[in-house]
Amino acid sequence: MELNAIAFSYKNGPQIIGDMTAEIEPGKMTTIIGPNGSGKSTLLGLMARNLLPASGSIIIDGRDIAAFKPKELARRLAVVHQHNDAPVDLTVERLVEYGRLPYRSMFAQDSAADQEAIAWALECTKLTAFRDRKLIELSGGQRQRAWIAMALAQRTSILLLDEPTTYLDIFHQIELLDLIRTLNKEHGITIVMVLHDVNQAVRYSDHLKVMKDGKLFAQGTPEEIMDGRLMEEVYGVQAAIRSDDETGLYIIPLSTI
Amino acid sequence: MMKKQALYFSAATMLLIGMALYSMTTGSIKVGVVELMTGLFQGGNDNVDVIRDMRFPRIIVSMLTGAALAVSGVLLQAVMRNPLADAGIIGVSSGAGFVSVLLVTLFPAMFFWMPLFSCIGGLLACFMVYTFSWKSGLQPLRLILVGVAINAVFTGLGQSFNYRGSYAVTTVNQAISSMFTMKTWDDVEIMLIYGSIGLVLALLVSTWCNMLSLQDRTASNLGLRVMRARFIISAIAVLLASVATAVGGLIAFVGLLVPHIARLMVGSDHKALIPFCAIGGAFLILAADTLGRTIIAPAEIPASIIMTVIGGPFLIFMLVRSDRIYGA
Repeated sequence: MELNAIAFSYKNGPQIIGDMTAEIEPGKMTTIIGPNGSGKSTLLGLMARNLLPASGSIIIDGRDIAAFKPKELARRLAVVHQHNDAPVDLTVERLVEYGRLPYRSMFAQDSAADQEAIAWALECTKLTAFRDRKLIELSGGQRQRAWIAMALAQRTSILLLDEPTTYLDIFHQIELLDLIRTLNKEHGITIVMVLHDVNQAVRYSDHLKVMKDGKLFAQGTPEEIMDGRLMEEVYGVQAAIRSDDETGLYIIPLSTI
Repeated sequence: MMKKQALYFSAATMLLIGMALYSMTTGSIKVGVVELMTGLFQGGNDNVDVIRDMRFPRIIVSMLTGAALAVSGVLLQAVMRNPLADAGIIGVSSGAGFVSVLLVTLFPAMFFWMPLFSCIGGLLACFMVYTFSWKSGLQPLRLILVGVAINAVFTGLGQSFNYRGSYAVTTVNQAISSMFTMKTWDDVEIMLIYGSIGLVLALLVSTWCNMLSLQDRTASNLGLRVMRARFIISAIAVLLASVATAVGGLIAFVGLLVPHIARLMVGSDHKALIPFCAIGGAFLILAADTLGRTIIAPAEIPASIIMTVIGGPFLIFMLVRSDRIYGA
């Protein structure tokens, strides 16, 4: 996935993303971080084609995503949003079935491939036992996994997640990030996510993209780019950056500048 | 779940058949079911002949009108993501009624194009509701307020036609005052053709309706062309509401009442919801019309008035608890 000189602004608003060029490496976990208003969720929205860039292009499989038919794109790229709505009586299985819609036409019945993909998605997210539950009966962590299962049923090579750990407690945050890592390591799905917590970003990502004021401030592996200067210049926070064998790199914010 | 659904479906179908039989045999001419059936199949019974010519069209038209209005309500609720949307409340029906009366008055010779004129009026009203409430992101209450205002304008314009001069044009009049009396087999034909087209189309878009109950961006990520789906579903809803208005007259609240009760019974999956609403709507209007013509016989209360009396309080009840219908 390549981003070529993309720019974006809302109608009559200031520019949110300006002239950004970057590449998403296939098969890797890439995390976009940055302070509030830096444009990270907007960038994800552009990649998901929920927003259209004012200029520039985003390329998947050698084609501009603007040129894909909606269903074609939905077979290559799946998205889990931060906040999701569904009817109160929707069950997990019915939700996950929606992930097969990119493969169906108006009159076609569900196929063996659909059943297989649904079973696999439920299995990956450990929701097989909960398939007949309604979404509102699930805990926050389970519900978030159900939305991931729907995205998985799309059988895409790329999965975008917008702040998937918001609203979850620490246990469920780690559980969810471990799940995402498993999807990446065992099933080779390219992950692009937005995270707020820099420590989680450092710990779980192969590659970081750091945004500031709609621009790419830095990119690279966490070890390459994460240092005190970056924390100061991007977040305006003085931080101690430490590393040991057990934890790897970690960041302790000390004070604002 | 499936079992429960099947149970509700068979119960509703039986109620509808029962009500139809009751309605056929009751009224100014009373016959027994057996007498009716033998009369129908063997002929030679004057009472049954009268019933076939006068009462049957009325029964069929009321059922199809109810089905069309209920399904139109459920479709509008899906596209507007708003459980309070109803063709009668947001002005689609009155827009359809007014434009058809206006055009038929101007070009009386084109009386048979009335369903088409209705459709134009319905689309106009629907388009206006969208335009004026789009900025607020189709916020439920704002949309309803805009709809009520547009409904008021079209209802007023429509009624003003009744008061131009001392005489009222009766054929035109019935389009806005809603009586199922004097329905003929011609009305049945119009209603049957356009109504069934609309109902079949509605069933075909049930998956789109389901996808729209997620967020727009989620539906779009699943490969749905959201704007196009919205437009097509709205057009089907307007077709159904307009035809119902052209033949059955202005009836509010059916599209509100029936889908709400249907959701409680068969759930929010539109594959079950749409056909169930069709059955429920048919039952409700047939019941209202049968009640209206028997309760103070030989005088009649139009079904639309009965629906208003039931529907008003129901709308208040729904406004009070509207936030609980679509949740996270």
